[in-house]
Amino acid sequence: MQQPGADTWYMPDGLQVDALLSALAAEFGLDIAPEYTATVVYADTFDWRLFQQGYLLHCHGHAWTLYHGDGGEVTVQQGGPELQTTCFSWDFPPGSLRDLLEPLLGVRCLLPLATVSLSGRQIGLLNRDEKTVARIVVESQKPAGMGPVFRLIRLFGVRGYDHEQTHVRRILEENGVRKTASPLVGFEEGCRAIGRRPLDYSAKLNLELKSGDSARQAMARIYQALLDTINRNIPGVLADYDSEFLHDLRVAIRRTRSGLSLVKQVLPDAVSDRFSRGFGLLGALTGPTRDLDVYLLNQGEYLNRLPPPLRPGLNGFFAELGRRRQVEHKKLMRALQSRKSRAILSAWQRALRSQDRQPAPLAGMPAGELAGRIILKRFKRVVRDGRTLDAATPDAAVHRLRIQGKKLRYAMEFFSSLYPKQEMQTLLKQLKKLQDILGSFNDLSVQQEMLRLTLKNLRAGSRRNLELAAALGGLMQSLFQEQQALRTHFVEAFEQFSNPETTALFHELFSKNQESA
Amino acid sequence: MSIIAVYNIKGGVGKTAASVNLAYLSSQQQGKTLLLDMDPQGSASFYFRIRSPKKFGAKKLLKGGKHIEENIRGTDYPGLDMLPADFSYRNIDIALDECKKSHKRLSKVLQPLHEEYERIILDCPPNLTLLSENIFYAADCILAPVIPTTLSLLSLEQLFGFLDEIGQGRDKVLIFFSMVEKRKRMHAEMMRSLREHNGVLGSVIPYSADIERMGIYRQPVAAALPNSSAAAAYESLWHEIQNRLPA
Repeated sequence: MQQPGADTWYMPDGLQVDALLSALAAEFGLDIAPEYTATVVYADTFDWRLFQQGYLLHCHGHAWTLYHGDGGEVTVQQGGPELQTTCFSWDFPPGSLRDLLEPLLGVRCLLPLATVSLSGRQIGLLNRDEKTVARIVVESQKPAGMGPVFRLIRLFGVRGYDHEQTHVRRILEENGVRKTASPLVGFEEGCRAIGRRPLDYSAKLNLELKSGDSARQAMARIYQALLDTINRNIPGVLADYDSEFLHDLRVAIRRTRSGLSLVKQVLPDAVSDRFSRGFGLLGALTGPTRDLDVYLLNQGEYLNRLPPPLRPGLNGFFAELGRRRQVEHKKLMRALQSRKSRAILSAWQRALRSQDRQPAPLAGMPAGELAGRIILKRFKRVVRDGRTLDAATPDAAVHRLRIQGKKLRYAMEFFSSLYPKQEMQTLLKQLKKLQDILGSFNDLSVQQEMLRLTLKNLRAGSRRNLELAAALGGLMQSLFQEQQALRTHFVEAFEQFSNPETTALFHELFSKNQESA
Repeated sequence: MSIIAVYNIKGGVGKTAASVNLAYLSSQQQGKTLLLDMDPQGSASFYFRIRSPKKFGAKKLLKGGKHIEENIRGTDYPGLDMLPADFSYRNIDIALDECKKSHKRLSKVLQPLHEEYERIILDCPPNLTLLSENIFYAADCILAPVIPTTLSLLSLEQLFGFLDEIGQGRDKVLIFFSMVEKRKRMHAEMMRSLREHNGVLGSVIPYSADIERMGIYRQPVAAALPNSSAAAAYESLWHEIQNRLPA
């Protein structure tokens, strides 16, 4: 049975809509709806969170429509904010559209993408009972900023009327309607007009390395991918669309620094040292804004930790964080646009593209060998440090183990395309479980420290500060309890990670003997 | 997912008009809806201009599975499908009698449809038979249109008696007044005396030329004349049913 999805073709150049309609009218009654015209703006997050899930969202003034891209079925149609530059899920009025968008968008904002002028007509094809047995839509799509208009014809079947649908197809074909089209051609071309392509950005490192590549080649590709991520996120950081631009930027910087410290003697030492310092600097200057972002994003969760009478005490606190963030973001903008920052990135770009005058000792080593060596070394280090972990381990030591875990994670992600996917996913999943617990623990530790400092700098005497102090006390208590509770899971989490099975798999995948086999 | 059976032992009480309009409103407001025309006269199918498929009948219905899937038809309204009736349904009791667990058969064949549809609405034939028993067993709610007259009340008593007999709770039954004529004093009096009764809905469907003409324009009133008082009456009825249904 044919699914009642839609098929889409280009209207042949010579074919007029009226000519096609009269051909159809010979066999069907026609129910022609009035012509519609609208200029719509498609919107998605920078990393295509809607498109990834098969959704397309467009707005026309305040009217928003969310639908599934393939079937063209409208999921929700509702009023919402006007899309000036950006908007978030919480800018939508409560309702089904917001309920759908919230989990999909998370903290990311919608950005305007393609602008397309649509005009068309829907025609119901009726049988002798005047029952609709199929529908066609003839539509023109004109992306803004582009010359061509795409003339499309779409066929929508009605369940149980396959025979009639076949009939319509025959008539279309007889009239030269043969070249299939993407129903999203206007959207795709409109994206192209603003320099975007669906799924052209993901925060994930997607690389296909070959085991036989030289270490220098492989590392250059990894660094290049990270540098691309950095460069692509800078405009969003400067415009301050949402907090994820800065987050992704920082992750890419951290991964680059990790690479430079994990993989020695592949780039000349002088180059490694120079850019370790350079990316250290970039990391440092992006830190303060991100820290404040995290607190501000946690606002709701913080309030929930407190009994309602204590909550108002935090109002001023978050307002102050908001002000500080504005100041920090200004500093960040200046720093990112400074000659020094730009020089680091462009020099790094040149270093990656050019030949090393004096190749480093391990530059020619096969990538597979390098990868195995580094990953195994990091794994052993995590296991060695982790053995001492128990419920009484000091916070600082837990933090060090967390860093070791991160290094292992980055190393595995750099080279994951060299190894079987499934095994790699198993190991990453195990590692992630350990990292999650260590990460949460560390977050709780850092947050308490920040609250302690705030409390320390608070002057006594005012009513407001008294209320704030009470709220800070309540928060610290709540964070501390959660942190203590996590400690009891340390041993269990580490044992799960370092169990004989996982250890064996690490050795099997990454040890040298295996590599040459 | 829930199944609503629109039922009355008496014919001509506005049962099919209610099924058609409520199914339409359900598809507009609650998502994908299937209307099952169980009445061999096929009036609901007629309203949607859907003819009975050639190789379909009572036996195919009771076989279920792909025999049903293949014969479901899309109506003119997105989100509303229908399984048209067939004249062979008049002998459906004989076919049912041959099935194992004959009073649960309908419930069983409807089971797989729960995945695709948010709601199933059954337009039932006016009689008390093995098919009725099947319908009452399968339905989460039995919606009974009642014209406020003495005979209609009698048929309600018969319905309750039958439910007791087959061990189905009376609380499944929701009653609404149908084809009500404002100027008839008896209608008003009958309604007043019944209002306090459990399961009697407040919304009333008036006797209306717009509803009668559905046979001519062959569309739900709510679709063809959305601003009419008849459409508003169905809308309010649907709203009330919605609130009474198990979530």
